[in-house]
Amino acid sequence: MPVSAQPPGQDASAPGSIEIAGVSKRYGNAEVLSNVSLGIDPGSFVTLLGPSGCGKTTLLRLIAGFIESDGGRIRIDGRDMTGLAPQQRPIGMVFQNLALFPHFSVAENVAYGLKLRRLEAREIASKVERFLDLVDLAGLGDRRISQLSGGQKQRVALARSLVLEPSILLLDEPLSALDLQLRKQLQVGLKDIQKALRTTFVFVTHDQEEATLMSDKVVVMSAGRIQQAGAPHDIYVSPENLFVAKFIGDLNEIPARIAAVSDGRMALESALGHIEVPRAAARGFEPVQGKACSLCLRPEMLEAKPASALPAGGAVQVKAQVVDRFAVAGATRLLLTCGEQRLSTVAMTHAAAYLPAPGEICQVSFDPGHVQVFEPLGADMAKAFGERA
Amino acid sequence: MVQRTSTMRLLGIALLLSLPAPIIIVAGASFNGGGYIQFPPDSYSLRWYVETFTDPRWPRAFAVSLGIAAATAVIISAVNFMAAYYVVRYAPRIASALELAIFSPLFFPHAAMGVAMVAMVGQFGLLGTAPGIILAHLVITLPFSYRPIHIAMRSIDPDLIRAANVMGASEWQALRDIVLPLCRSGILTSLLFAGIISFDEVTVTMFLIGPNITTLPVQIFSFVQDSASPVLAAISTISVLVTFVAVMLLDRFAGLTFFVRRDAA
Amino acid sequence: MITQEKSSPGTVLLILPVLVLLVLFFGSVIHLFSNGFYDDGEFSTRYFRQIVNRSDYHMVFLRTVVSSLVVAVLSVVLAYPIALLLWRADRWRNTLLIVVLVPWLVSLVVRTYGWIVLLGPRGVINEFLAWLGIIESPVKLMFNDLGIIIGLTHVLVPFAVISILASLLEIESNLEEASGILGASAFQTFRHIVWPLSLPGAFTALMVIYLACIGAIVTPILLGGMTHNFVGSQIYQEVMYTFNMSKAAAWSICLLGLSFVSLLLLKSIERRLLKGRN
Repeated sequence: MPVSAQPPGQDASAPGSIEIAGVSKRYGNAEVLSNVSLGIDPGSFVTLLGPSGCGKTTLLRLIAGFIESDGGRIRIDGRDMTGLAPQQRPIGMVFQNLALFPHFSVAENVAYGLKLRRLEAREIASKVERFLDLVDLAGLGDRRISQLSGGQKQRVALARSLVLEPSILLLDEPLSALDLQLRKQLQVGLKDIQKALRTTFVFVTHDQEEATLMSDKVVVMSAGRIQQAGAPHDIYVSPENLFVAKFIGDLNEIPARIAAVSDGRMALESALGHIEVPRAAARGFEPVQGKACSLCLRPEMLEAKPASALPAGGAVQVKAQVVDRFAVAGATRLLLTCGEQRLSTVAMTHAAAYLPAPGEICQVSFDPGHVQVFEPLGADMAKAFGERA
Repeated sequence: MVQRTSTMRLLGIALLLSLPAPIIIVAGASFNGGGYIQFPPDSYSLRWYVETFTDPRWPRAFAVSLGIAAATAVIISAVNFMAAYYVVRYAPRIASALELAIFSPLFFPHAAMGVAMVAMVGQFGLLGTAPGIILAHLVITLPFSYRPIHIAMRSIDPDLIRAANVMGASEWQALRDIVLPLCRSGILTSLLFAGIISFDEVTVTMFLIGPNITTLPVQIFSFVQDSASPVLAAISTISVLVTFVAVMLLDRFAGLTFFVRRDAA
Repeated sequence: MITQEKSSPGTVLLILPVLVLLVLFFGSVIHLFSNGFYDDGEFSTRYFRQIVNRSDYHMVFLRTVVSSLVVAVLSVVLAYPIALLLWRADRWRNTLLIVVLVPWLVSLVVRTYGWIVLLGPRGVINEFLAWLGIIESPVKLMFNDLGIIIGLTHVLVPFAVISILASLLEIESNLEEASGILGASAFQTFRHIVWPLSLPGAFTALMVIYLACIGAIVTPILLGGMTHNFVGSQIYQEVMYTFNMSKAAAWSICLLGLSFVSLLLLKSIERRLLKGRN
């Protein structure tokens, strides 16, 4: 239920929906967001994911109403938000640094919004209790903020926003300051609360693992644009460009050249030799003979086999040398070189698994149907990976 | 080596104690029973205090000074609170320009300031009136009051205000519930500091008094010039007491580190 | 993240009062200049010529500048031991700070009155010296330059203490410890670490005190009498006794010019002195 006063009858669409249409924002000469459009379904958990400076926080602040866009429209619950101050929007927000009021107690922090709405003292008290209970802080209402642990502060910030029952909750990297253990714990807790309340959550993060773990929909952003939006699995399996492919999950990226293009197929020349793949492997661009491109394969699509193994029907097989071997949670990662080209593979570890030692020569085999081909990254987006490295 | 350090320390202590010495001697002399200033007193009595309070001029000047100090402190703190809030929240780009303008009276010699204030106050026909004196005191206390408030304001995380807004607080509600309480120590410092300066100001104020109004320090100044009555010692002691109480309040409620920390919150 | 907040309408009114005060202040400065430079509605330097051409006024300027310099240097020198004492007194610093702050904030006129009580012909010091039998007739301690310098110095030392202490408190204490560990003696540590780092505060104090002195009225009048005039006392007389506002304005403009030139000079000395440091 939206909390702010809404003119009745104006809007039939379900509370918690956001429609962003052609929104742009510039600071001076720098375009922070350019022509961004996005729909968010009621009750969903949506993550805005991207490297720092990609515009995700700006987009969140535009939705909140702290800043005004230079063009385009934002609708919440079907209502145009243009010109509305944050206090007039049906939103809640959890800030990166939490922004808990240091001069209020825990309960006072949670009660503040309710007091502004002039609720009865008894009702306020019962709601505060209920929401402190929801975030596992029952009995801590009288504590000062400075007496709380990092995780507890996090949950006060959450309770303080949720007690107002906004149709949308915006979260600006609220977990980034916490250590890994606590972070994992709160990720699950957050998701559970979201499912229970069916509030729309718009979550900003630069951590792709966090994004894929929690979200119904991930919006990958870079250089002020949405690169791709969709379910985490879809984005992982069929990224629309090299940026998305590299940003979500691990990737073997092999520089290649298109040697020939025919009706349904094309031939690629690379460190892996001459490979024929379906023409549809080219994502987001028209393959032309002679064009430079990136041949991409997820590590789990590569299979390491003994050097003596014979190629299976249709599979491509290349010779490689093992550089290193890692055991990661039930799986084995191999780092290999194939000439100058580095490759990595990952496979479930089981009793019959082939586990070559570093230095050993082996075969790497893959199905050319799994190859994805992208255009190389533009300079602006390549920068994002430079920062991450 | 140790010798040198302790010599330095002794010197420091002696010099430190010399700072309040004249005030203490005046206070001591004010309790003298005799008809002239004497320290140490040869007999003790409160007759000069009694005399101070029976001469209506002194209580009146005292009340005027207190009233002007209170008005100045409240007005200038409010003015600077509003300005600092606006600058920090909406116009950080003009912050340094505004600061330069606000601090410029500090580089103005007081004697010249007195003449300039006569011109300004005279223009409004307020010479010899309390509003005229208050107006001049507002200009004088402006930089001293701005600094503590601005420092306090700057240290508030802007997301706190945004958080209040998202929770439904209007601009004014956030100002009242979040910004004001978090600026508390800066505002208290401003109130007491500006109040003390106004209460004790004499160099500029003496140009602005009139037949119907004078402040305590200005009245002391004009009496000192042609009288040696111990009444002066008594009234001076009272004036010191007011300042002392204000400093103690400052220490108690806001702390004194503001004076010696360049960027203390 | 650049946060240019959008402001609600009306918030710009918040800055209006302070702007009004600033306009009043700068307006009064302009008014001061027009008072000094205009005579019967015409531009005139008559009052300035009156000031510049009188040789007894030259003495007034000289006395003001020299006394102010002496007071400024003296205040800083005397403030150092006190500032160091406070700096090293961690636990007692607040209490000692009150001993500095209260005299600083007590009215100028009251503090100067204290010195009249001390320095007067029948004042505490003369009585004490007579009682000891050192002198037979009172020594002249006030109504001369000595009295003015003593009074102004005492009035301004607390500010110097505060300014130097502020500089000292910016020194990280481990810097001093590190110097000690490296084998520097206490004096070497002071000379190479504490002294140079306290210089900015000392110099600020020097400048502010100098400016305060050349603009002083109350202390020079009370302790110097009407014979040992400061520029400030001269202004006071023009306003209070001869009611010549134009001449007072001319004096004030001279004073402003004097402080401006002095400030530039002191700033350039400071730059040279602190050269090679940030």
